[in-house]
Amino acid sequence: MRSDFLRSTPFRLTVLLGAAFLVALAIAGFVAFELIRQELAARVDQTVTDAFTIISQSYGEDDVADLGDAVRSHAGATLRHERVYALTDKAGTVLAGNVTMVPAGSGWATVGAGALGVTDNSDDYRIFSGEVGSYTLLVGSSYGETKAIGRLTLVSLAWAGGLLVALILVTGVVVAARGQRRLDGIAATMHRVGRGELTARIATTGRGDDIDALVGEVNAALDRLSALVESMRQVSVDIAHDLKTPLNRLAITVESAIEADEAGKPVAAWLRQAQEEGVRINATFDALLRIAQIEAGARRARFTSVAPGTILERIADAYGEVAVEHGQTLRLTAPDGLPPVSGDRDLMLQMLANLVENAIRHCPPGASIVLSGRIDDGRVELSVADNGPGIPAEERDKVFRRLYRVEKSRTTPGSGLGLSLVKAVADLHGATVTLRDNAPGLVVAVSFPRHTPAL
Amino acid sequence: MRILVVEDDRATFDYIRKGLLQAGHVCDGLEDGRDALAHAMREPYDVIVADRMLPGLDGLSLVKALRGAGVRTPVLFLTAVGGVDDRVEGLEAGGDDYVVKPFAFSELMARINALARRPPAQAGSEKVKLAVLDLELDLVRRTCHRNGQEIELMPREFALLEYLMRNEGRVVTRTMLLERVWEFHFDPLTSVVETHISRLRAKIDKPFDRPLLHTVRNTGYSMHA
Repeated sequence: MRSDFLRSTPFRLTVLLGAAFLVALAIAGFVAFELIRQELAARVDQTVTDAFTIISQSYGEDDVADLGDAVRSHAGATLRHERVYALTDKAGTVLAGNVTMVPAGSGWATVGAGALGVTDNSDDYRIFSGEVGSYTLLVGSSYGETKAIGRLTLVSLAWAGGLLVALILVTGVVVAARGQRRLDGIAATMHRVGRGELTARIATTGRGDDIDALVGEVNAALDRLSALVESMRQVSVDIAHDLKTPLNRLAITVESAIEADEAGKPVAAWLRQAQEEGVRINATFDALLRIAQIEAGARRARFTSVAPGTILERIADAYGEVAVEHGQTLRLTAPDGLPPVSGDRDLMLQMLANLVENAIRHCPPGASIVLSGRIDDGRVELSVADNGPGIPAEERDKVFRRLYRVEKSRTTPGSGLGLSLVKAVADLHGATVTLRDNAPGLVVAVSFPRHTPAL
Repeated sequence: MRILVVEDDRATFDYIRKGLLQAGHVCDGLEDGRDALAHAMREPYDVIVADRMLPGLDGLSLVKALRGAGVRTPVLFLTAVGGVDDRVEGLEAGGDDYVVKPFAFSELMARINALARRPPAQAGSEKVKLAVLDLELDLVRRTCHRNGQEIELMPREFALLEYLMRNEGRVVTRTMLLERVWEFHFDPLTSVVETHISRLRAKIDKPFDRPLLHTVRNTGYSMHA
């Protein structure tokens, strides 16, 4: 499972970031070095200019002796020829100073130590020579100090760079190792899931970082996936049971018809029974197909603005008398002007019809059923309440499953798909379905989101 | 009537054909959508019955092509799943009605009859009064009289009676009533239609000598004198 460490994303990111830092450091170092070098060169020039000015001021009225003394005292104050001074006459003879040779020319120049006859200092010199009376005064300064400071700057930069590289590598290794551990964990879990262990989940660190967010999404997807697989498995089992049973009955009925025919008895009754069984099987298949189509969600493209009030009235109107025939009452309570919801009118009608039919079929005579609509926290809630037997709390989650039937209702007619369809329609509309205890009885409430005209 | 049936399932086709012949109609059968298109453009049929799933050219494309070519012959779709997308798609493509498989022949026949005699759209002025014998329905004033006596009807009872009277002499099935009167495109498990029919009967037939609303066994209802 472990992938190549050096190619791991965190390590590569750290190295990349480190390289960027190094480049930035090199540029900053170069700029700083250049600035310091220029500043130091300017200072050398300044020193030379100052010395020249001071020495040349000691000359007055053709008195060369003071000038010679000034040169000599300056020259005596410098060691290893850090500074050089020379006083020459017109013939170029050195009258005073600490150099043996004087290069030709006047003004600023940069010369090697050899040109001055200096042997104990190998650095270059910055020199200035100018006329003082009929003499020539040369003042110079070695670049030794400048070079030393430059070297020091380079060495500190190199140290900083080296330390940075080391730090980057260590950080990269640590971060990569930590990231890799988590990635390996995710990969291992996905591998387990891939092998069919659908309950495996990735552990989160609780730090709430990006990997945790990703892990949360992956876990949520796994939850949905395993719920889906579980429901598919459940449906397969239920179909096997709920459709095989009537198919089996159908086979028995046809067999009985054949036997009756062979015995010369009338077979019409058997065939009618077989036909009814066929109709029932078809209805179950049809309901399953419808739920699948609704869950596929293609109908959302046809959503229009639907007034819940008209849906409620249509249902109350259609089923009021049906309830009376069952010895029950169906009442509608809804305020005027319920806000419209975005939805599919046909499916909303079928959803409420299913809920009312469930109530009518599962409640004994004398029961009262209330169909109501109300606004709850900006959402439109449509509900069907009855005071019948209700559904035990522990079975309430299961009734939305396809083909699930509350144990005691297995004998009443129905495919066990009514509430699954209700759930599918609600999901399509972004609505929530809740089952509540009506003490006694059951309330099924479908809460639609507020209609946004943009839809 | 001359009816074209486009259906590739042999057993279903034979079933439809046998029924149509017994009812005294002429029935042509084709299995391929492309053949059907060529045929329907050439021959003047009263009604076309087409399966949604066909070899060559599917039912939806067949109807779209026919409508594109200006053929207005009513088309009835046979679909596997009703009430959800198939129905809407079929009607949007230019179909006029649909029957969900498996179906009873009586259902198909009732719908073919309704389609064939449906007056062409925008044909003159709408009727404002319907009458069957001495039963009168005023569509403007929303009133109902029989033998001069006023009968009070609930809105849905009025709609139910109106649909039945518009189809006077024809059989309308339970499913047709659910679709047209209640807009229910599904099969309720309870007796919605039966309950309303019996309430309506109690109002328009019971107090009078001669019943006008008749039950057609295993099929539906029919309004006639």
